[in-house]
Amino acid sequence: MKMRYALWELIKYRPGLYAANFAAWTAILLAELGAGYIAKLFFDTITDASPAGLTVWGIVALVVAAGVIRIGTILAGALIDIRHRYTMGSLLRRNLLAGALAQPGAKSLGRSTGETLNTFRDDVQVVEDTISWMVDQAAFVVYAGVALAILIAIDARITAIVVLPLLTVILAARLVAKHIRRFREASRRATEKVTGAIGEAMEGVQTIQLAGAEKHVLEHVRTLNKERLKATVKDRLLSQSFHSFFWNTATLCTGLILLAAADSLRSGTFTVGDFALFVIYVGVLAEFVAVIGDFMMHLKQGAVSMERMMGLVGEGASASIVTHAPIHLRGPLPKLRVPKQTTAHRLASLRVEHLHFRWPEAGDGSGNGFKLRDISFELSRGEFVVITGRIGSGKTTLLRALLGLLPIHEGRILWNGQPVSRPADFFVPPRCAYTPQVPQLFSDTLESNICMGVPAAREEIDDAIHLAVMEEDVPQLQEGLNTLIGAKGVKLSGGQRQRSAAARMFIRDPELLVFDDLSSALDVETENQLWERTFARGNRTYLVVSHRRPALERADRILLMKDGAIEDSGTLHELCTRSQEMQLLLKSAFHSEGA
Amino acid sequence: MNVPIRQYWNLLSTYLKSQWRWVVVLSFLILVTIALRLANPQILRLFIDTATEGGAYPILIRAALAYFGIALLSQGLAVAATYVGETVAWTATNALRLDLLDHALHLDASFHKDHTPGQMIERIDGDVATLSNFFSRFTIDVVGNGILVLGILGLLFREDWRIGLPIFGFAIITLFLLIWIRKKAVPYWTKYRRLSAEFFGFLGEHISGREDVRANGAVGHVMHRFYAFVQKMFPVRLRSSLGGYSMWMANVGLFAFGHAVAFGVGASLWRASLITIGTVYLVFHYTELLRGPISEIRTQITDLQRAEAGIRRIRALLETASRLPNEGTSRLHTGPLGVSFHDVSFAYEAARTESAEEEVPLELIPALHEISFGLEPGTVLGLLGRTGSGKTTLARLLVRLYDPQQGIVRVGGQPVNAVQIADLRRFVRKVPQEVQLFRASIRDNVRLFNPEITDTQVLEALDHLGIKDWVLGLSDGLDTLLAADGGGLSAGQGQLISLGRAFLADPGLVILDEASSRLDPATESLLETAVDRLLEDRTAIIIAHRLSTIERADRILILDEGRIAEFGPRQDLMNDSTSRLSRLLQAGMEEVLV
Repeated sequence: MKMRYALWELIKYRPGLYAANFAAWTAILLAELGAGYIAKLFFDTITDASPAGLTVWGIVALVVAAGVIRIGTILAGALIDIRHRYTMGSLLRRNLLAGALAQPGAKSLGRSTGETLNTFRDDVQVVEDTISWMVDQAAFVVYAGVALAILIAIDARITAIVVLPLLTVILAARLVAKHIRRFREASRRATEKVTGAIGEAMEGVQTIQLAGAEKHVLEHVRTLNKERLKATVKDRLLSQSFHSFFWNTATLCTGLILLAAADSLRSGTFTVGDFALFVIYVGVLAEFVAVIGDFMMHLKQGAVSMERMMGLVGEGASASIVTHAPIHLRGPLPKLRVPKQTTAHRLASLRVEHLHFRWPEAGDGSGNGFKLRDISFELSRGEFVVITGRIGSGKTTLLRALLGLLPIHEGRILWNGQPVSRPADFFVPPRCAYTPQVPQLFSDTLESNICMGVPAAREEIDDAIHLAVMEEDVPQLQEGLNTLIGAKGVKLSGGQRQRSAAARMFIRDPELLVFDDLSSALDVETENQLWERTFARGNRTYLVVSHRRPALERADRILLMKDGAIEDSGTLHELCTRSQEMQLLLKSAFHSEGA
Repeated sequence: MNVPIRQYWNLLSTYLKSQWRWVVVLSFLILVTIALRLANPQILRLFIDTATEGGAYPILIRAALAYFGIALLSQGLAVAATYVGETVAWTATNALRLDLLDHALHLDASFHKDHTPGQMIERIDGDVATLSNFFSRFTIDVVGNGILVLGILGLLFREDWRIGLPIFGFAIITLFLLIWIRKKAVPYWTKYRRLSAEFFGFLGEHISGREDVRANGAVGHVMHRFYAFVQKMFPVRLRSSLGGYSMWMANVGLFAFGHAVAFGVGASLWRASLITIGTVYLVFHYTELLRGPISEIRTQITDLQRAEAGIRRIRALLETASRLPNEGTSRLHTGPLGVSFHDVSFAYEAARTESAEEEVPLELIPALHEISFGLEPGTVLGLLGRTGSGKTTLARLLVRLYDPQQGIVRVGGQPVNAVQIADLRRFVRKVPQEVQLFRASIRDNVRLFNPEITDTQVLEALDHLGIKDWVLGLSDGLDTLLAADGGGLSAGQGQLISLGRAFLADPGLVILDEASSRLDPATESLLETAVDRLLEDRTAIIIAHRLSTIERADRILILDEGRIAEFGPRQDLMNDSTSRLSRLLQAGMEEVLV
């Protein structure tokens, strides 16, 4: 997606606001020109060069009036610009968030949370500036045009002498501009590394503290900090020199006026008022050139930021960054639509045919991307199917690929015999819900974490909590369901987090429940209760990753995975008798029982 | 005004002290620039008076060339000042970033529970970034521009006191008005930054929890919360931005007034033939020249508003003391360490809210009641109990993530809060439930960035765990970079790394907090030998929900709702059919043997 197209789409999002912004800023700048012209009138009046029929005191009154008008235009411009900017920034963030959430949920975004937040914060800010300054640019063109016309009317020769070097400056600037982008990118990368490292250090603060590694982590960040300093100073030096070079041209041009006007001023054909006006308006023109120069430079930064935003939403979806979606700046928020359970969602059978998965050219270099090879199986209504296998055999990958949380390469998924084309959008409540191995909770109330937007009555919540064997935990929390559970739910114990996630799944009452090792943080007793209560409801279908007895024994069928393929399948009894792999898996369990 | 200035000064002197040479260079560059700016209008007056009086042409040309030369020199100075200023600023802010990170890394768990990593990035990097300009330019620019303003006023007084006085009055009014407006705007800035930290915390959390959000069909819910933030933030943003704009408006209004004064005074004195037309122009030009420094000061003050909000939050962070005072002086020794709990009770505190300024008495959530027990050095304790029974809490007290409200926890015979924290971290190791991996090489993930640990040591530890071959088989061996959020490693593999970290420390007390809960039995059996070796000659506490994990325990402690339900030698308890352990084992065995 071209930057130009993206900016145009953003302008079109609120064209009225954009136009109003342009009008307001043109008014601000023209009022400024007016104030400059009053200075010329003043000098001409006192030197009687061209009596404008005004007294000195009349001019003084005019100066004050012009000031008041300017304040008015600035206020109007500010109110419009703030709203416009906020609208643009919010739209971009909205689209980024929607885009990030639309990607396969388990696929890494290719950057840490800290880096991603950098895009939400800084890159959006840069593009917001770009849009806002584009308005200014247009207004500046009018501003410079009017100033130039007035200067030419006074003395075309002197105007030409002054304006030509300004043009040279613009050309020279183009040559430097291309380096700016390179430096900017390097500086951004270095910044990302620092914020990424800080974010990780905060996420893993306990690990670091308990290992007494604070000082080593600090040293690690110090090294990254130094790299950032080098890159940033380079970037700032170039852009600042570029910037001050433009601003200094006004002074250089004033020098040129002195050279060019020496004669005419002596002969009286060029008045002191004209001189004052020239100095002021040359400042205006130089400001115009400087602003255009700054903007050109900024456009390059804007393009870098835009690319990074597009990287976040993924290839093929880059245009979604500028989608015209409502941002609900005012008025009541729309009601959340939660799809109702209907017979259309009913699961009769789920079939997976020849599923293949391979990590896309893993940039992490770990080289251990599991593959799924030729996975086929079927699930019928009411069945309880357990996937088991040793670590790294691909159990979790299989669940994720099936649910569209990872992109599959080959194979088909059939729901009631119909192929599913977009599993990520299909395997959601009320058809299906999923609890990952390490469920994520959010810094909000427990209730909100369980419901996550599902409008549930109190009894329904209690039901879900009961199913998840959490009914004894909730009253013990400080404010029950309204307890704020902290960042990532840290105020809950590991088991409570697991069961909260299970409750989150139960409240959606899906046809197909997918658990990835839900029991890993639960004790035997609790796990048994959970399965018992869940089965008592009946009529649901389960796909569960587990290597523990309580689940294995309940299984209608066990899919035994090895090296990314289904090695065998059957009941626990069947597998125990015929599969060496199964025996091996169970060995340590039996071993411990003998103790 | 007094308090913030002292705060700025404290920050400045702390972080700029080591760079005083560069600060001197920077000040010099700025002073020369000021002198050049004051000289320019004098040349213009000379030029106008000479020209209108029909003076010599060469004088005019020389004046024009001098003007030109000064402009070029200023350009060079500006570039030099940028380089020095940026280097100073980044050196200073980087030092501040590290101090903040250092401080945050030493805060206790009760702080980190209430702050998302996204929020912390905003506070450690975001707030400091707004200070960057403050460090490089603020003081020097404000002082420099102050000198420029004084220079202009002095030169105007030299022309005529009737010119100097009114313009002086104008400058004073302008300054006070700008300061007043600044004061009005700061609270809005603070509020906006706080809201925005909350907003980015929300974004960060939901982006890292995408898998859960998507698979539970909660995308709509997340977007809904996003819109709620958008609505809530707009009025605050509007007010804080208007604060900046009001500076500009005041500036424009005041300068209209200033020009009116300059014109009135200039015209009167010119009519009375007290000054030349060149001087009238000089007065006008100097008044106009005041716009530069005053608008610079205005910009700097806008930055200062941001910086001030940032400084407040930085100070708040630096003043957040760890709840766990680090005053211990006792040492621990190598070799197995004994453990004892004497009448220990502990309760968690409810969430601390960021906005609450005053101390609100915190509600307590009890977790442990009157726990007393002892472990001889070298014993292995199996810690059992339902989820939420207090097992993890007990471990947290041992490693001093929290201090108990009552009772004494001893390790190696010393109360843990009397032990040097460095010793405690070295000799007591906890293998946590959830593994944190860093976007760094496998080597740095195992040795946690400690440069003193050699590859040989790392490989030895990995060899113990039986994953040396796996690591060496990766594309870059120990140099293999892990992706963000430990991507590329399975949960179990992450846990192996976590065990490697513990191996390297060679502790006297190991706490395994459900370390193997996410490993499948086949991998677990690989680890058996390694864990056995780790526990050799060490005291250990193994927290487990599963009976299989505690088979190496000498003693068993069963917790129930924060109280000791049973404690004793494992063998004794197993032989006693009425013990809780026997009942548990029976239930567990039935479970498995059916």
